Amino acid sequence: MAEMEVKESSKKGPGVKKSKKHSTRVDLTPMVDLGFLLITFFIFTTTVQQPTAMNLNMPKDTKDPKLDMPVKQSGSLTLMLGKGNVIYYYFGNDPTKMQTTGYKAVRQIILDKKKSTPAADLFIIIKPDKDATYKNAVDILDEMDINDIGKYAMVDPTPEEYGLIQKTEQAGGVK
Amino acid sequence: MARAKIKRGSTAVDMTPMCDVAFLLLTFFILAAQFKPQEAVEVVTPSSVSNKVAPEKDFLNVTISKDNKVYLNMDPKIKEDVLDELGKERNMSFSAQDKKNFEMADFVAVPLNQLKQFLALTPEQVKSSIASLPGIPVDSANNELKAWISAAINARMGEQLNFLIKGDDAVKYPTFKAVIDAFKANDQYKYNLVTNAKQVPEGSELYKKNLMEQRTGKKE
Repeated sequence: MAEMEVKESSKKGPGVKKSKKHSTRVDLTPMVDLGFLLITFFIFTTTVQQPTAMNLNMPKDTKDPKLDMPVKQSGSLTLMLGKGNVIYYYFGNDPTKMQTTGYKAVRQIILDKKKSTPAADLFIIIKPDKDATYKNAVDILDEMDINDIGKYAMVDPTPEEYGLIQKTEQAGGVK
Repeated sequence: MARAKIKRGSTAVDMTPMCDVAFLLLTFFILAAQFKPQEAVEVVTPSSVSNKVAPEKDFLNVTISKDNKVYLNMDPKIKEDVLDELGKERNMSFSAQDKKNFEMADFVAVPLNQLKQFLALTPEQVKSSIASLPGIPVDSANNELKAWISAAINARMGEQLNFLIKGDDAVKYPTFKAVIDAFKANDQYKYNLVTNAKQVPEGSELYKKNLMEQRTGKKE
């Protein structure tokens, strides 16, 4: 690379012994290559490992119905997180009309809802059921961040909803 | 006037200084790097778009392993106070040896009634028996995590404490909820969920918002 052979003896063939005087200098180029390669490797591996923290603020539990926030039916979207990374969602307050989706497709559903609803009315209710995982919950909270949803709540599904989910799961054979 | 002789320069460059620099840098980076201590409980954290670095000071870390066991560790600085406080609240007495062991221990992985035996274990013993340790009970009947959190809060006497929750991808939601409930019972509502950083998806609302903030130079 850095050292160019100016004179190249063309006589050398296979089996011909070199008669050149050996210089004591060693070509350090490969060594430098190796050094920088290692540096690059270390830099890349160290910076990536930094864990980040996602803020989660939960509301205070309250039994006082006066403090309950009313949610407009037209603006609500309920996402129920079920077993096997499946999301069941419905608009308004009729869980029997729920539909099924996954974690990739849910963004479009949220965005569509966001577009078709006045910002003040939009409210997303997240209901992770007993079989949902922590990853599911974090993913969906992350989705709220990504889609810039201002108002959302995380609550438990009602027994009725849980029954519906289980029925759907049994019908669909989700394990 | 004698004309300066133009030497025929060799194209060979001496690589020695370059090599020196490369290895000097390499040595520097290796020595300067902080190695992550080997984690006793292996946890694969989910990823999020959050770019906030997890706090490393004054923390109380609740780790949930993939088999839904809850472990607790905290900033070594506050350990002694927390144990004192816990002893007061639960009418338990800890010897100087217990305290020393507690400060050495990476985490707590047993109910309170087994705490002393657990603290007496050597790190190697803990490591080999990690799968059989029961974890801190968080069910509603006996939520000991609540006691730990309360001890930590009282030990800090109102000073800021960062609550880190580090859960595995496979943790079932009810366990996570039980942990949250333990915090809620102590009137703590702000948590940091430890996650891996993820790129904000291009074209999403947050992406546009960040872009706007960059352009206008203001931050909300």
